[in-house]
Amino acid sequence: MVTFEFFVQEGCVPDESRPRIVAEIEAVCAEVLGAEAGPVSVSWTVIRKGFGFRGGEPSTTSLVRSRIPDGHGSDVRARFLRSIAETWRNLTGAAEDEVIVSARDWSWAG
Amino acid sequence: MPFYRCLIPKDSLTYEQREEIAVAFTDVHCGHSTAPRSFVQVAFLETDGSGEVADSHGSGVLRYDTPYFIAGGNRAGRSEETKRLILSGLIEKFSEIGGIPADMVSGRITEAPASWTMEAGRILPEPGAEADWLEEPAAAA
Repeated sequence: MVTFEFFVQEGCVPDESRPRIVAEIEAVCAEVLGAEAGPVSVSWTVIRKGFGFRGGEPSTTSLVRSRIPDGHGSDVRARFLRSIAETWRNLTGAAEDEVIVSARDWSWAG
Repeated sequence: MPFYRCLIPKDSLTYEQREEIAVAFTDVHCGHSTAPRSFVQVAFLETDGSGEVADSHGSGVLRYDTPYFIAGGNRAGRSEETKRLILSGLIEKFSEIGGIPADMVSGRITEAPASWTMEAGRILPEPGAEADWLEEPAAAA
C-alpha cells in the first residue's frame, strides 16, 4: 500500500484539480513502484491562509508526504520522488521550489 | 524540511503571534543546525483540543494531552543533544510569544533520512552538508 498526505496552502491547489492529481499520482505509483505496491490512499490537509510559513515568511509551498513499501533502492526512490514532483508541478502550476516530496519506508518508525 | 506543525485551539493565536512564532522557530532551528532558513516550514492547525495527529516522518500517530502541541519532522542524523535543544527552544518560544504557560505546550520531533525527501528538484543533503548542496546549482550553471 502507498499512502500520501498532501499539505497544501489555501488557494494554491484548486479543489477541481484534486481528482486528476490523485489519478496521475496513482499512475506514477504503478509505473515506478509496480503493481505490487498495492492501492493508493490519499488525504488532504489545507493550511489556511495566514497559517503557513516558510523561513518565517508566508508560504506557497506544498508538502507531499508518502509512505511506500520497504525494499526500494535509492535509484527507484529518487525516480519516484522526481516523478511525483513533476506531476504535481504540471497539474498545479507550482514552481520547482514550491513542492517538497518525500517517501519513507512503510516500516520506518521515525 | 524541517516541518513543524503547531496544533492549537481555535482562535487562540493572532496572525501576528503565528508569524512571530514562525520566525522564532526558524531562528531556533537554524541556530542549532546548519539548515538554511528556507528549509523551515511551519504550519498552524486548529484542533478541538488534545488528541492525536498522524506522524509526518514516522509511522502511526503522535498522541498529546496538552492544549498546544508541536509535531516536528526533521532530517535524521543530528545528536540527541541538538534535538533536545531544538525542541526545548521551540516550546520556550511558542510559550513566550503565545503568552501560554509552558506546561500547556508539549512537542515531539520524529525524523526520516534526508535522502528520502526531494526539495526544489533535488534530494536533500545530510545535516551539515547544506552549504555544498546550496552551491550546486551555481556550480552546474
